[in-house]
Amino acid sequence: MNAPDRITAFATAHPAVPAAYLTVTLGLTMFSVQPVLIALSLAGALVYGSCLRGLASVLAALRWQLPLIALIALVNPLFSAAGLTEVFRIGPRAIYLESIWYGCAMGGLLVTSALWFQAAAELLPFDRVMALAGNAAPVVALMVSMVMRLIPRFMRQGRSILTVQGVVSRGRGSLVASTRSRLRASSVLMGWAMEDSLETADAMRARGWGVARRRTTYARHRFTGADALRLLALLAAAAAMVGLAWLASSQYRFFPTMSALVPWWGYVPYALWMLVPTALHVYERGRFA
Amino acid sequence: MRGENRGSVPPCGQVPPDRSGSTSGAGFASPHGQASPIAEHNATGETIHISGLSFTYPGAASPVLHGLDWTVPAGAFALVVGGTGSGKSTLLSLLKPEIAPAGVRTGDARVLGEPLGSLAPAASASGIGYVFQNPDNQLVCESVWHEMAFGLENLGVPQGEMRRLVAETSYFFGMEDWFRSRTDTLSGGRKQLLALASVLVMQPRLLLLDEPTAQLDPIAERTFLHALFRVNRELGCTVVVATHRPQAMVPYATCAFELKEGRIGPVADISALEERPALFEGDNVARGGGRQDAASACGAADVGASSVSGTVGAGIPSAPAASRPPAAVNPQRSEQASPFQAFANTRRRAQPAVRLARAWFRYGRDADWVLRNLDLTVAPGRIHALVGGNGSGKSTLLSLMAGARTLSKGSLSCAASARALLPQDPRAVFAEETVADELMEWARMAGCGQRSADAMADRMGLADLMALHPYDLSGGQQQLLALAKLTLTRPGLLLLDEPSKGLDLAARRTVARLLRELADAGTDIVLATHDLDFVSQVVDDVSMVFDGEIACTSPREEFFAGNVYYRP
Repeated sequence: MNAPDRITAFATAHPAVPAAYLTVTLGLTMFSVQPVLIALSLAGALVYGSCLRGLASVLAALRWQLPLIALIALVNPLFSAAGLTEVFRIGPRAIYLESIWYGCAMGGLLVTSALWFQAAAELLPFDRVMALAGNAAPVVALMVSMVMRLIPRFMRQGRSILTVQGVVSRGRGSLVASTRSRLRASSVLMGWAMEDSLETADAMRARGWGVARRRTTYARHRFTGADALRLLALLAAAAAMVGLAWLASSQYRFFPTMSALVPWWGYVPYALWMLVPTALHVYERGRFA
Repeated sequence: MRGENRGSVPPCGQVPPDRSGSTSGAGFASPHGQASPIAEHNATGETIHISGLSFTYPGAASPVLHGLDWTVPAGAFALVVGGTGSGKSTLLSLLKPEIAPAGVRTGDARVLGEPLGSLAPAASASGIGYVFQNPDNQLVCESVWHEMAFGLENLGVPQGEMRRLVAETSYFFGMEDWFRSRTDTLSGGRKQLLALASVLVMQPRLLLLDEPTAQLDPIAERTFLHALFRVNRELGCTVVVATHRPQAMVPYATCAFELKEGRIGPVADISALEERPALFEGDNVARGGGRQDAASACGAADVGASSVSGTVGAGIPSAPAASRPPAAVNPQRSEQASPFQAFANTRRRAQPAVRLARAWFRYGRDADWVLRNLDLTVAPGRIHALVGGNGSGKSTLLSLMAGARTLSKGSLSCAASARALLPQDPRAVFAEETVADELMEWARMAGCGQRSADAMADRMGLADLMALHPYDLSGGQQQLLALAKLTLTRPGLLLLDEPSKGLDLAARRTVARLLRELADAGTDIVLATHDLDFVSQVVDDVSMVFDGEIACTSPREEFFAGNVYYRP
């Protein structure tokens, strides 16, 4: 929230728009267990990720993501022995190609979801989520804001307490036993925080906390007609995607044998959907170039 | 809802149309000097009118406030001075019904023309603004914009009006650059400015401030007071500031009152409040000249030996040091001797107390250097002050000397192994239920007994408070308690971060005397401070930290003689 809004997809839209897009995309990714759809979603997430963070950082992340997929692919057959195409045997257990392939798909799905969540953090930073929630639940929004304020403060206070007792115990043997020292620090922090909260409560009351029956919000995001149009277009496309995904998933089987994958026109709109953030990102960046 | 409490007097924060053009500019032409229509109008009314007000806390034997008669005219900038515990905070919070303390109140009090307590909640919340001492505790939200909107959100102000008020107030304070920042990343001065702005956005007609600058450095204090001054003169808002250190505020004040023994009276000569009282009274008044030659002549070593008190703890050498026969002191007795006496050998050494050579330091791999090739030598048995702006690295230097952090490059050596660090907030030190237990928590393990603790409590003025919880003490008393507790660990090197922050005159004197005696007894003391008045009266050597290096180190008199801008 400290930095100005990043120039990326949906930066100028009402947060409801990226929220809708991300919800649909994550839903599509997690519920359509079909190799091509997973691959398309993964590709979309990877391309957008490299737009945001650069190719190098995306490739660096693949260093743990690919082994994770491989691991799931290898471990899955050990737990679910299903399928007909036997690859090899470990002792009495048969390992089937279908199981490995299914594990691959599940691993891919996991990594893809993680990547989309990562994108979500960029597309919907905390303050935009707050603006989204603030209109509906101002008190919850305020509570979250207060908690976010307290965390760095507690960290700072805790460090200060530990420093003071560390300095006193140094050079005098174990003045404060190290096991007790953390306990002591947390009890000191507790007392300190409680004391501070009394004053914070006073400061809140002094500024009229609880005076009005319903709080209003200083929302920084206005929902405009353009946002409504974008949302409508998104939802219409989303309905089509859900249909396509359902069609593709229902026609595909991993077990007992895998269905054959054939070229299909339906993959094209699905791929386009996954590339929406990338396209918008390129467009937003290019407008000033 | 917001219209009803305005009455005939335009509230603060509402800039008349003819000036609104300049509000949005960076310059904001200051109209004071010429009689503003608001000020003229306000001058006719009384914002606070109190007669015969008494207040007693539940369970207390005697009232804190005793038949007060007090009037503050509208548009005034009033100071309420008085020592710690004189009831300044009680008086101020009584005027703000939301935070009024529990207790028995008698007498008549009117605020904004209405009897206390009869103001509607919304009118009271917006009409009477209150700024607390601690900038950290009164900020509620994570980001500056949310903090600004907080009060208006509470009142249910419609979004359009809220945005206008927030924008207007932010321009008034020049907050555009940090409006989107997180509150936690702001400096103390900015936090307090934000606290003021977030109160002012609600358009109060009366602003009550309780020690608003006690936690700020002098430069931030001046910035804050200037903002407050503009609020008072340009917007016609009545301002009442309770403080025990009025020096910096006097130029802005239109009237001053002193609260003493439960009664309030006007201060006849306001400019007299500007004087900086001496910290060493009586026989020590001449310290400025007298001590200096002794200290500089013999590197404090002999002076230290001569003033060590042989009696247990109670030894508060009030007699001049020279009158005590040095031979009577046996360094070996230090085991059971006063806590002011550090380890015997610290007094005989010639090597520096602390020595940093070519020191480099940064907090993280990607962080900027905080110290760049810094050299510093602290002479033994002296009080050494580090001065410099916010973020110049003073506190970092202290934690390095304390051994809490290690240098990135370069070398650091400290003569004393037993050290103690007084943090900026004394509450980081408190772990026990009573003041008495607090003093003893570390003392026994460092070889100080109950008698030393009692003697220490006595001399710090804490003797009557031994049964209280540390959090029930005032801010100044907490600072004294923390200092006493750390002194009882008998550190050879005492490191203090802003030891005089938030102290009233009596407490400043106590701290000054304690530090002097500790240093004379051979303790090395390094303190980081913004308080140049304290520096000019208490310390021996001063180093100015600038740009990660020591700009200069010199004895105190030389330091202030050479400085053009940097003086108390």
